[in-house]
Amino acid sequence: MAVERDWNRRLASKAILAGAVLFLAAPFVVVLGASFDPATGYHVAFPPRGFSLASYAAIPWKYARAAGTSVMVGVIVAVVSTAIGLCAALGLVRGRLIGREALASFFRMPVQIPFVVTGAVFLQFYYQLASLTGVNLLNGLTGLIIAHVFVAVPYSVGAVTAVLSRFDPALEEAAESLGATAWATFRSVTLPIIRPGVLAGLFYAFIVSFGDIPVALFLAPGDRATLPVQIFEDMQFDFKPSMLAVSSLIAVLSLAAILAARELAGFDMVARPAHASAASQPSERTARP
Amino acid sequence: MLLSLGLLVLPQAAFIWLSLHADLGLGQISDAVTLENYLRVLTDPFYLGSFWLTVHLSAAATLFGLLVGFPAAYALARIGGWIATIILSLILTTSLITVVVKLMGLNIILGSTGLINTSLLALSITSSPVQMINNETGVFIGLVQYTMPLMIVLLFGVVQTIPVEIEEAAAILGATRARTYLRVILPNARAGLLSSGLIAFNMSMGAFTSAVLLGGGRVRTIPVLIQQMIIQNNDYGKGAALSTMLVVFAFLLNLIAGGLLARGGGGQTG
Repeated sequence: MAVERDWNRRLASKAILAGAVLFLAAPFVVVLGASFDPATGYHVAFPPRGFSLASYAAIPWKYARAAGTSVMVGVIVAVVSTAIGLCAALGLVRGRLIGREALASFFRMPVQIPFVVTGAVFLQFYYQLASLTGVNLLNGLTGLIIAHVFVAVPYSVGAVTAVLSRFDPALEEAAESLGATAWATFRSVTLPIIRPGVLAGLFYAFIVSFGDIPVALFLAPGDRATLPVQIFEDMQFDFKPSMLAVSSLIAVLSLAAILAARELAGFDMVARPAHASAASQPSERTARP
Repeated sequence: MLLSLGLLVLPQAAFIWLSLHADLGLGQISDAVTLENYLRVLTDPFYLGSFWLTVHLSAAATLFGLLVGFPAAYALARIGGWIATIILSLILTTSLITVVVKLMGLNIILGSTGLINTSLLALSITSSPVQMINNETGVFIGLVQYTMPLMIVLLFGVVQTIPVEIEEAAAILGATRARTYLRVILPNARAGLLSSGLIAFNMSMGAFTSAVLLGGGRVRTIPVLIQQMIIQNNDYGKGAALSTMLVVFAFLLNLIAGGLLARGGGGQTG
């Protein structure tokens, strides 16, 4: 089989691949392009009719505030859910538990529940909690953070488990036989090795929280909307070119963050994406995002 | 070891506690008004219609996704090397950026003065703009956008497990390309196709943002209705009934598909 023939033979598949990539990339290209259009009205022009940063200059303060909220929620969610994920993964991989499979699927459960339902259920739960105890989690961002942790934990568990199951327990035994305490072993042997998994867990949990709309729509207080929710609402009722600018910034900064995370953390997103491993069971995902 | 075990209990207990409360929350609400709510939802053609709409849009998006996603993943896996890694990262990245950005782009592309319509009009293919948003077509396109990246990533993994040698063997034995594809590659990927399809279907069934922003509030899928019931109408009973139906449906479907997968034994039929 000549290489050249081989190449030609898969031409149809390759054409479809090219189409799929174009289809997936197009929305971002269009948003980015249109954000530079000099128009100030409601009309969106792509390709842009000129180059202007007018829409960037017109970004209202509320988006900066929403971005702050989103980042804060995202960071807290990432840390908490990865801590939980780490513990759960250690137990799942190491502990020779009865019903380990059942537990593993238990930790994947939130992934199966649509985000809208999660949002609705938590809202209900917080109302009842408030009427029973007087503690209203909906006043601040606590309620949203708890719900996001609930949604993000499977991704963290998946990311840590993936790395942990390739880890050789003999290394820990060696450390312990040399007299290290359990904590010292964990801190100086286990943790450095599973670091990529932990970083991936943090990364995916943040992405899940930052990208979510339905849950935040239910649980974020009106004056503390997250960035996607703010854009979502304005898109429906009050479109302005400055939203193109905000979206372009999100896209570019996300891309930069993803690339930086890959470089710095050294985890390989592609070989084992956390949401694939968290979701790929028939008993199975949320992202969309 | 003990430490890890001990550490496991805490989050687990917290989650059982949480999930119990969540279920109770739904149960309690349904208890007071329940049967009436379910009955109303199950007998009202409006809700049944919405359910059917959600199912058929999700099924269409999933099928289309598989039809495009599989060849794409196949081409990618066979290209291999760093080129495939880069393209795959690019595809995955599009799914990691918050979905509103994507939907804004789609709105611009598909709108009546959008890229596609101005091109169609300029080429005189149509005489008036084709309506592609604020209807089911828009939601369909949105669902495909939403599920395709993950689908390609999953299917890429599936194709990688099919050795290229068996294709070569088939070719040497005289099989045409199409025949090899249908009789060798696809049967080997059956289990993978089914499980990726199921994940995409689940995602589509629960998709809220795409349905709202590309359906323009006119395409009322179940997730959209749930949110409208609760936030706009304050009708928690019906919202809860719809939520339960959606989750139970997804659960049953997963169970059935899980059974199918187990019976199919990974699809080693040649």
